[in-house]
Order: sequence, then structure tokens, then C-alpha cells
Amino acid sequence: MSASRDDFGIAIRSALLKKGARQKFSLFFLIVISFLIFFLDSIKFKAIDTTRSFLRDGIYRFSSIVSSPIHFVKYSGGKIKTHFSIYDENKTLKEELSRLKNKEFDSQFLSSENRNLQKFIETDAEIVEETVLAKVLLDKDSPFLKSVIINKGKNSQIKKGMPVVDGNYLVGKTVEVNYLSSRVLLLNDLNSRIPVTLEPDAAQAILVGNAKRSPVLEYLPEFFEVEEGKTVFTSGKDGIFPAGIPIGKIFLEEKIAKVKLFSDPNQLSFLNIVLTNTDEVENF
Amino acid sequence: MAILYKNLKFKILSLGPLILLYFLSITEIDTHFSNYFEILSFNLQLIIVYYWVMKDPSILGNGHIFFAGIVNDVIMGLPLGLSALGYLVTALVAMYIRSVTVKITFFTDWFTFILAIFFSQLVNLVLISNFSDLNISYAIIFYNSLFTFIFYPLFWFLFGPYLTIISRLKND
Repeated sequence: MSASRDDFGIAIRSALLKKGARQKFSLFFLIVISFLIFFLDSIKFKAIDTTRSFLRDGIYRFSSIVSSPIHFVKYSGGKIKTHFSIYDENKTLKEELSRLKNKEFDSQFLSSENRNLQKFIETDAEIVEETVLAKVLLDKDSPFLKSVIINKGKNSQIKKGMPVVDGNYLVGKTVEVNYLSSRVLLLNDLNSRIPVTLEPDAAQAILVGNAKRSPVLEYLPEFFEVEEGKTVFTSGKDGIFPAGIPIGKIFLEEKIAKVKLFSDPNQLSFLNIVLTNTDEVENF
Repeated sequence: MAILYKNLKFKILSLGPLILLYFLSITEIDTHFSNYFEILSFNLQLIIVYYWVMKDPSILGNGHIFFAGIVNDVIMGLPLGLSALGYLVTALVAMYIRSVTVKITFFTDWFTFILAIFFSQLVNLVLISNFSDLNISYAIIFYNSLFTFIFYPLFWFLFGPYLTIISRLKND
């Protein structure tokens, strides 16, 4: 028994401390360094934050350059696919155009009615937010985090917690801001929580990411009956996100209310960052 | 001249696994296929580290394994040092198995890989759940580990001929 324990000890010691002919560091030394870096990374200290920010900027840019052949292949593949589906797309677009023309009259009527009602209750007719356009530098999937890296950072007045939209649709918020780049946490990430409102009766809920394609609606009102196909918007209850940004449509899956996002999180190339006041988040 | 050419060929070929490890860490390429099959994802870096440390530890230096892990953490947005620890623990298990096993067969290789996956994921989970704000799904981590284990034989057979070429050049 003690002999086998000795053998185990010798083997582990050898694995940890032995350096091969071409090895410069032992595993033990590097494991200790990794632990040290892990704990240093969790410290909120200005010098460390600045170093971390520059390190990330450098690695993201380098990674973007190294990944450019992959981007090119993806882009070419997409182009070829689009080329082959152009006939079907044209047919669908024509049908959609005629449907939208019919809807336009309804929409004009509703807009004028909305303006009149807003005048009546004396609220601002529209909230115009300033946005910054950014390009997606990296989009790497992982079992831990669903996020993308964009090419704008503190130099473009971007702060932590700002909403990020693809066209008119919400896709996530900034969670890490460096000088030249930022990380956007996508709506389907496990760590994402967004207060939302559901049409038509403005019921409040929280959109929770579940690391799958469609996030889940939680904290719905008691006895609330979910209607499939209804649109989900940001509620603005957190005081950071502007109210009324469309997110997606509700659908039911195994009696769970989920949201099919308008913007596919796997197909992002250009995003707009809405420059809202996020001081509360920054200080938090 | 012939010796010089052979040495150069050996040096370039022996860099292959290291280049692949860095390439997977630094580029956008990932082994997560949730678009096609929701639970399908595996960790190719762990397979590379385990296989090459087990077969020939001089191919992947410990320092390179550590640095590839740090780069992977930056790109993935994970706390720094987390992937590096996972890879180093995998390398440690591989080194241990290598030193206690006299004859390595495919099955001993494959089944001892369970230990490497278990300890590396355990270290990651303990650190994330105790010292980080990240929410993680145990189911996703489990499926990732399961598919990493399942896909090991595929890469074992893919890397096999490459290892034979390197070993032949090394011994000549």
C-alpha cells in the first residue's frame, strides 16, 4: 500500500516538476502563475485595468487580422449562397412589398392617432438617441459566454452597459470596454437579463438568456396568458435602455414562453451602440 | 545538405500541433456547432494538449500551452488564467499517465482522457463558481466534456500518421 502511494507521489512529482530537454518551465511553476493571474484579474485596480485593456485591444486586433482569411471564406460562401437564392428572394420580396403597401395606410393612420394621443398626455413625441456604428471584429462561440467583439471602445464614448442594436433590433449590451474595442454580451447568453414589455397590454417581464438560440421570458404577471406571435420590446425600466426597442416575437416551446429574436446572433457584422447614460451601471 | 533539409523538415513539421493550438485559440474558428445541433460542442484544444503531451511532450512546450490558454481567455472573455489552468491540468494528467504506463494503447489513451477532462473541467468550474460572476450551465459543460471524450478517437487516428512522420524524421 505504502509502496503504491510512493509510486503515485514520485509520478506526480515527476510530472509536475520535471522539465524535458526542450521545456523552459515546469508545469508546477506555470500552474502557480495561472492561479496568480486568475486572482490578479479579479482585482479592480486602475493599473491592472489599464494593462488588461491594452492587452485585450492588441490581442483582438491581432486575432482579427489572423481571422481575416476565415472572414473572407465565410463572406464568399454567403455571397455564393445569396446568388443561388436570388430568384426565390425576389419572389418573396415582391409578395412582401405588396403586403407592406397595404399596411402603409394603416400605419399612417396609427401614427397620426399616436401623435394626437401623445399631445393629449403631454409626453415627448419621440426619444432620439445618438448611436455609434461599429464593425464586429470577432464572433467566437464558447460554452461559457455568447458575445462578440466590436471595433469601437472608450475612444468613441462607449461605456459599459450600453444597449447594442442591429438595425432597429436589440442584440445585447456592452460588458467590457477597452480603449479601441468592446465586448457585446448577446441576449441569448446565460448572463443576460433585460427588462421587457409585451404587446398588446404592456405586460412586464424579464428576458433571460439560456445559452440557446431563443431566450426565455421570466417573471411574467400571474395568470398571464402568453399569445404567440406578439412582439417583445425593451421596457426601459432599468433606466439605461431606451424603451421600445423591438427584440423579437413570442413563441411557446414545451409551455415555456420564449422569444425568437429579430436579429440572428450568429449573423452579426455591423452594430449600432446606443449612447445612453450608463453612469449608474459604471458606478455599480 | 540532405541533413539540413531533413532537420528543417522536422522542425517545420514538429511545429504543426503548436500552430494548430495557437490558431484555435487566437482565431474565430471554434468547435461549437450549436447552430446545427444544439448540444454539439467539443474542446479541440484539450484533445491536442492531451494527445501531444502524451505522445511527445517536446512538441508542445509547457510555456506555449500556458500562453495559448491565456490568449484563449482574452478572446473568449473569460477570467484570465482559466483556460491556461485547464490546459495545464490536462498536460499534468497526460504527463502522469505517461510516466506510470509502460505500454500506451489506444484504449488506455482514450479512457485515461476522462481523468484529464474531469480534472480540467473541475478546476474551471470551482474557480468560476467561487471567484467569478459568470453564470454557467452545468448541462452545457457536461455535453462539451462528453463530446470532447467521444471525438478523441477521431483525432487520435488523424494525428497518428502525423506523429509517425515526425518520429521517423526525429529518429533518422
